[in-house]
Amino acid sequence: MQTGAERMKRSAPESCGKGGEEMGLVRSWARPLALALAVALVVTAAGCSGAKSGGGTSSETYKVGAILSLTGSYAALGTSEQNALKLEVDKINAAGGVSGKKIDLVVVDDGTDEAKAVAAATKLIDQDEVIAILGATGTGQSMAIRNEVDRAGLPEISMAGGTAITATFDKFVFQTPWSNTIVVPFVLEKIAADGHKTIAVLSDSSGYGKDGLAVIKNAAAGAGLTIASDQTFNPGDTDFSAQLTKIKNSDADAVLLWTAGKEGASIVKSAADLGVKQPWYGGSGQAKIEFPKGAGGAAEGFVFGTGKSLVPANWGTDSEEYKVVNDFATRYKAAYNQDPDIFAGHAYDALAILVDALKRTGGKTEPAALRDAVEQTKDLVGFGGPFTFTATDHNGLTTDDLALYRITGESWEPIK
Amino acid sequence: MTWLSTGSRASHGSRSSDIVRLGELTVVVSEFLQFTVAGLKSGAIYSLVALGFTIVFAATGAINFAQGEFFMLGGMIGVWLVNLGLPLPFAVVLAVVLTACIGAAFEFLAVRRIGDGDPLRIIMVTIGGSVLFRQAALHVFGPDEVPLAPFTRGSSIMVLGAAIERQTLWIWAITLVAVAALFVLYRKTAFGKAMRATALRREAARLVGIDTSLMVTVSFALAAALGALAGLVVAPLTQTAFDVGAGIGVKGFAAAILGGLGNPVAAVGGGLVLGFLESMTAGYINPLYKDAVALVVLLGVLFVKPEGLFGGTGREKV
Repeated sequence: MQTGAERMKRSAPESCGKGGEEMGLVRSWARPLALALAVALVVTAAGCSGAKSGGGTSSETYKVGAILSLTGSYAALGTSEQNALKLEVDKINAAGGVSGKKIDLVVVDDGTDEAKAVAAATKLIDQDEVIAILGATGTGQSMAIRNEVDRAGLPEISMAGGTAITATFDKFVFQTPWSNTIVVPFVLEKIAADGHKTIAVLSDSSGYGKDGLAVIKNAAAGAGLTIASDQTFNPGDTDFSAQLTKIKNSDADAVLLWTAGKEGASIVKSAADLGVKQPWYGGSGQAKIEFPKGAGGAAEGFVFGTGKSLVPANWGTDSEEYKVVNDFATRYKAAYNQDPDIFAGHAYDALAILVDALKRTGGKTEPAALRDAVEQTKDLVGFGGPFTFTATDHNGLTTDDLALYRITGESWEPIK
Repeated sequence: MTWLSTGSRASHGSRSSDIVRLGELTVVVSEFLQFTVAGLKSGAIYSLVALGFTIVFAATGAINFAQGEFFMLGGMIGVWLVNLGLPLPFAVVLAVVLTACIGAAFEFLAVRRIGDGDPLRIIMVTIGGSVLFRQAALHVFGPDEVPLAPFTRGSSIMVLGAAIERQTLWIWAITLVAVAALFVLYRKTAFGKAMRATALRREAARLVGIDTSLMVTVSFALAAALGALAGLVVAPLTQTAFDVGAGIGVKGFAAAILGGLGNPVAAVGGGLVLGFLESMTAGYINPLYKDAVALVVLLGVLFVKPEGLFGGTGREKV
């Protein structure tokens, strides 16, 4: 809460610089406040979101764009990602930059909205002339900006976990999280291993939820599970009685929740109140501290599968992965007074992959060369695991990089 | 012997299928009850927000598009006060009072400055105000969703297989008390009568010595208080965030229109009907269509009965 407020205060002058100039035109305080309100409306509608004026030209710095969901359903994810990117960019610049040039990070908030994400991509490409786009936060947004990325021919490194991002192949699009293709079967196996035969699926209607549902439907039979009830909700919904009542009265032995939205906390809370007795399972969408905190005890015992790095010691303390993840986690905690969640890690990876590629091009930012260099990423140890991209695989992570966790109190512990 | 055994088997079979049917019926009844509870829960919240629309409409003839932001401010200020260490009941009351003050200040500083009281211009200012409140909340409270503790802890109360959350009882009780208090204020007190007189005929009210500007300010404060109350009482179930106002504003507005704008009883009725319809759509059709179906019904009602479901002739506004 406090850090959130401080964060917003710090970024206020920068993100609303345009607003300040506009307001300065109101010459006298005595002018009707109605006019000020109208100006505020116009300025906000025009989007006061991180537009940096001036700055260095592309020859002096590397301009890197980031499209993050700092508000809306994925606000918690985007905020972590922004924290991580700022931390890493500051670190790299303090050490002299990459090949002698500093990184100029331009962050735009997409409000967890696909149309706004496209507008952000257009702005970053045409106005800011960035060399690459990190993001978006969400699957739907990452897919939506594709046309713009293809048009410009520059690399997009997405931080969203939908399978479609790399399964629906695009030569310019890369992905840092463990995608649904590997996480879903991993969690389904755990459900089957716990002795369950039938499951109820509760997923959201956004890109990540839809993507996950499709993978779940494909993979359930393979894990020996049948889907007894298939329920969906819209991002932003506040009442889930209908879905939960049906799940409660269904034959399902267990419930699989597939969402990355903030609704997860209200869902498990409401489930406890409505007397839903089945055990709960989930994926990477639950690997954020807001989930157990918001659920206020109702998430106790919730099992989810995501990357090993959520608890760095999972890698074994003498491994290269542990060193990388632990170093990042330590610096993140020092800067923001909280442990990084996996979304911060995905942003760390997106930047690390780009920086690694830049080093290999010798600082050349010509889009085609940079894209090729990103595709040639090999054995780069990041937060998600060791990244190796190929001409057909732009995700490069495997089940070996995953682990299971159980919610306990306001945190989680690895399941041995 | 053969027919007897066949007969007994048949009767046994029918009894077990009766049991199955009874079991199915129990599930059907408990599901319907559960959906009804959920609908009336959301409906009560919509009613409180709709009442805010109605009160301001009665006083000014304008729609206050910042009404949803009062809902948001109530919840966010409440959580903020709890985090400061205030006990929950004090935090709730103080949050309602503070939001009412913000509502009054907004009217005094922005709405009142529109000299001629043109409803269209008031609407414009309230739209601007809603953006201002939302952005201010983002900067002050941050972008994250925040939880509020339930008013009373404990498991749900089971009625015929349907679970009623304790917080839902609070929602209903507070809605009831708020409506009753409004009724007493408007019908039994001189102050309320002055507000009604202002709503009915502002010029005439002014001529008999009623401070009509004050009445408008008070109507904004009341609307803000009702919105804040709704935002606070539902926060333990849904969490809250700086951007929840726009969505609930649309729902509350729809409820007020559905019931019949300008009539408090109609606002409550409209809210409950809207919540019920949404919940039935989610339960029996598809949860993804609940918003759309509610709006289609709204349009249908307006087409057949433009004054709203419970709207009267429109002469007595409050």
